[in-house]
Amino acid sequence: MVDVPPTIDEPRISRRGRRILIAVAVVAALVVGSVFAFVTFQPIQVLPRVRLAPGFSLIDSGGATVTSEDLRGEFVLYSFSYSSCETCGSIDTTMLEVQEGLPTADLRGYPVRLVTISVDPDDTPAMLAGYAGSVGANPEIWTFASVEDQRFLADVVAGGFNTYFAENEDGSIKLDRSFVLVDNAGIVRNEYKYQTQTSDTERILRHLGVLAEELDNSTGAASLAYEAAHLFLCYAP
Amino acid sequence: MTDTPTIEEPDLPPPRRIPWRYALIALPLVVAGLVFWWGYNRSQPHQFSGAVIQGAAAAPDFTLDSDRGPVSLSDYEGKLVMMYFGYTFCPDVCPTTLSDIATALEMLDDDEAEQVQLIMVTIDPARDDAARMGDYVRHFDENFVGLSGSDEEIGSVATLYGIYYRAGEGTEATGYLMEHTATVLVVDRAGNVKVVIPFGVEPEGIAADLEYMLR
Repeated sequence: MVDVPPTIDEPRISRRGRRILIAVAVVAALVVGSVFAFVTFQPIQVLPRVRLAPGFSLIDSGGATVTSEDLRGEFVLYSFSYSSCETCGSIDTTMLEVQEGLPTADLRGYPVRLVTISVDPDDTPAMLAGYAGSVGANPEIWTFASVEDQRFLADVVAGGFNTYFAENEDGSIKLDRSFVLVDNAGIVRNEYKYQTQTSDTERILRHLGVLAEELDNSTGAASLAYEAAHLFLCYAP
Repeated sequence: MTDTPTIEEPDLPPPRRIPWRYALIALPLVVAGLVFWWGYNRSQPHQFSGAVIQGAAAAPDFTLDSDRGPVSLSDYEGKLVMMYFGYTFCPDVCPTTLSDIATALEMLDDDEAEQVQLIMVTIDPARDDAARMGDYVRHFDENFVGLSGSDEEIGSVATLYGIYYRAGEGTEATGYLMEHTATVLVVDRAGNVKVVIPFGVEPEGIAADLEYMLR
């Protein structure tokens, strides 16, 4: 009688099990690798949602009312100045450069508005109209305005837009250079207060493009990738 | 003697016993799969119904009047606070929003719902005093809080929370409507405005956002 070795199934089963384990490991490595690559190479960049922009009602240089609700749906760049300001030239220059750069910026058709809010309670619409004309503002794009109810000037400018201003003893106004970019939903997406190696104008125009791209991809599966970019802090420099 | 047909039983192989090693491989895989699935679900970015604010700027504190005494935002530290700005004469948007929030809270577990506080601030202080606000909000939910204050106090709080409002044509005698921003703001348990929920989000969406923020 010949001894027949018993058939052993275990090697076949364990080989299959090994394959499953390898497959699981490969999938896990791919997932981890994809996340790592996403965070490292940042194929999608976004601007952080910083905080709520304030609610307000302004009177523009033509005497018309402009409210925060009127501006919802547009990207808005805010600056702060006043008609008799002698040190606001660089603020106005940056706004003017942005105004002139808009036609060539990659905005995907989304509307952009520039709004300069006066921090001087004595500025009248006529004074703001003269100021706007002197700096070359295109009234279709760039609005100069005062807070309608001056009791809330500090709430809007200092509290809401986080921009310091105060009256000096001689009646002049000291004011921080500050630009605030607000998205179509009324949320502050960036503030430009400190000089960086890249000019404010260049960064603002590039950031408007980043906002337009995100808004363009805000529905469907693509929105998940953009939310992931927010989650992993893939912020545009 | 009759021939009885015999049925030949098929030559079946003996039933295979599952070797214990097979179970040893399968069990950790099943456990790993369950852990992965749980972790995957936990790590999925929640699709909020509104816009999420990443910044950690603290929600400005304020004190306004309720019919049960002064109320500050900081009184609710540690809770999720839903803030809504509206008025009691509001014909449609405000009652719809408050009703949707009440329905959303009913969808939560009791212990979850206890960690959420709705505050409604009037944007029409000329007509809505604290007593009227209290009566109005409790019509929707016993735990809702209604606040009023001076014109200046309300204007300041509304501005800082991104709320615009304006009275329409008319007087107190003839009646008038208010234009106002109709968003609901959710202040997280750390005291930051985290989510801005636009008007029209269904209660299911609101409840899902609250549940996620309470995790």
